[in-house]
Amino acid sequence: MRALIQRKSWITWLVIGFVTFYVISTLLTLGFFFESFSRLTLPGVSPVLVVNQYLLAAFLSLFFIRFLFQKTPRMKIVPYLHLPVSRTSLATFFQVSSLATVHNVYPFLFFIPFWMRFVVPDAGLAAASSWMLAVVLLILASHFAILYLRSTLQQHTGLFYVLTLLLVVTAVIDEWLGAGLQRMLSEFLFTDILRGSLLGTAFVASFTALGVVLSTRSLLSGLRPDPPSATREHPWLRLPRTAERLLAADWGAEGQLIRLELLLMWRNRRPRHYLIISLLFSTMYLAFMLGPGNRITGAGMNALIGLFASGGFILNYGQLMFGWDSSYYPALVTRNIAYRTLVKSKLVVLQASCLVLFAISLPLFLLLAPDRMDVHFAFLFYNAGITSVLVMELAARNRQAIDIGRSGGFFNYEGLSSRHWIWFIPTALPPVLFMMAMGNHRQLALGILASVGFVSIMATNLWARYFARGLQARKQRMLTGFRE
Amino acid sequence: MNNAVMLLEFNDIRKSYGEKVALHVPSWTMQSGEVVGLVGSNGAGKTTFLRLLLDLLEPDSGQVLFEGRSVVHDQSWRLTTGSFLDRSFLIEYLTIGEYLEFVGATYGLRKADVARAIEPFTNFLPVSTADSRRLIRDLSTGNAKKVGIAAALFVAERLLVLDEPFANLDPPSQIRLKQHLLRLSGQGLSMLISSHDLGHVTDVCSRITLIGRGEILRDEARSEETLESLESYFSSEETGELT
Repeated sequence: MRALIQRKSWITWLVIGFVTFYVISTLLTLGFFFESFSRLTLPGVSPVLVVNQYLLAAFLSLFFIRFLFQKTPRMKIVPYLHLPVSRTSLATFFQVSSLATVHNVYPFLFFIPFWMRFVVPDAGLAAASSWMLAVVLLILASHFAILYLRSTLQQHTGLFYVLTLLLVVTAVIDEWLGAGLQRMLSEFLFTDILRGSLLGTAFVASFTALGVVLSTRSLLSGLRPDPPSATREHPWLRLPRTAERLLAADWGAEGQLIRLELLLMWRNRRPRHYLIISLLFSTMYLAFMLGPGNRITGAGMNALIGLFASGGFILNYGQLMFGWDSSYYPALVTRNIAYRTLVKSKLVVLQASCLVLFAISLPLFLLLAPDRMDVHFAFLFYNAGITSVLVMELAARNRQAIDIGRSGGFFNYEGLSSRHWIWFIPTALPPVLFMMAMGNHRQLALGILASVGFVSIMATNLWARYFARGLQARKQRMLTGFRE
Repeated sequence: MNNAVMLLEFNDIRKSYGEKVALHVPSWTMQSGEVVGLVGSNGAGKTTFLRLLLDLLEPDSGQVLFEGRSVVHDQSWRLTTGSFLDRSFLIEYLTIGEYLEFVGATYGLRKADVARAIEPFTNFLPVSTADSRRLIRDLSTGNAKKVGIAAALFVAERLLVLDEPFANLDPPSQIRLKQHLLRLSGQGLSMLISSHDLGHVTDVCSRITLIGRGEILRDEARSEETLESLESYFSSEETGELT
């Protein structure tokens, strides 16, 4: 693994190239040859009708991807605020320039060939043009809605939980109870547009216009400086008293470092958002994976469920364990802190997160998939013992600084390199491949994974020593990377 | 001074950034108990000098020794060295108290020990109720700097390293800091202080090392004429004259 990481530059480019090629060719193929796919899934139904039924769902999925990755222009504006240019002009300029993003391009790799092959011959050029206009407007609406949503969530974090709850309730009604509301609405809207009705297009256009106005206003109001985050004003910035007592006692440097890690998550926007997203992955996403309508079985899927159920936090947050410290890394390396102690405190936090997520997602397994309890138990040990170590290997080689207080929006993966995503694959793949290779011997496979994990947990001190040696050797490279 | 032991040695240190030599020190030493002021223009190499000493930068060649041991290979210097160079030495999401506790704990001090150790420096800390409950990141630049300097002061047993400690401090704080430094110097603590404030640095330091264009131009004990001589150097620096 170490050799692979050292050769990361060309491997990274290779993987990026492969993934890009895969995505482009898949979208183009889907667009040009959609009838082959729709014949398999919905035989006898016109490809245009199939797409119309699922367009809103597709836009919702793209919306989720945008939520995680799309950048907001807020941070870009800040350096220009002192110039003699009106804020409205600046906001308008950056709103328009923010449209130049890959999120607004790749959907067309599907839509353009699909439109040419199926929509135009089916509905005629005039109606097909209205249909394409509606698609373009929906892409724009998604773009500006994301800017508005993230900016609003930044100012009213509590809204995130309300929206999440709303999404869950809607999804439950739509999917689990079989109402199919979004499919009906999607079919109604786009079939109506194809019949030449202007009402549907006007509806989408007004939605887009609303997005533009709201996001611009919210961008302007968000340019005021953040208020001080004094603990006096936000008592919740303190850790719960029990945790404080436990950690502030006489646990020495290790206890202080664990406390520091918890306060980092508690008091800083970006780490906190990673924590929240990890919790959502390990609960809501898991509920859908285990839910009756979406139940996918198989050894590989079991491994993925096990990985995310208790290891969601490690996979999402762990690679940045040292990156989070980048702004004060000199404060750590010039103090009397042994690298071994620093690494051990981080490993303990990662291991403890597995136990917490295990407990949180346990009711979901009991309720929805009691037959997969063995997976949940085995992966608790595997994640705590092995996933934590694999992720720490990546974290200890990360030289990219992360701005923990960056306030570009409520949550996203802004600032993370593609490396972060590419190295997720070798971290998650071994147990998936192992479970698949073991085929029908599920209990044996889980037993082996749990045992290996348990042994690795017992060897935490050895791992700490191993990583400490590496960190010491790479100290200057990390310091240089974090400074840059 | 005759009984003093060698504390720091720079042996044939060279650090370059690309083609530009940021620092070249063939030989420089500092004895235990000395208080050395590093002066020089912006970009002269002062901060590079301090970063090399604290193992925050790797020299291209040569080595820095602390009590005869390489600061790179033997990290024991961290046990007795207090340092503050810039805001990266602060953990800004902690409150003042939490930060001092954290620093103390890394040196094996318990909460009560930290309170005792920091007690002599409390007049230097921003102690208003509002400030003490604030996170460091919400403090003004000057107040945040005071926290960092105080943390360096209370853990420094053998050596104190400060970069521009007087910059951004209000006049009363500058005076208090100077008093603390003079008191600690009287107690035998070795100090290496980089500063642009020639008045303060000549008040506090017993030896002045002048750095220019990455090289040590002058290194001598402070005398009555030092301040005047430094002022004369800096006023004629553009012409490159060394008086």
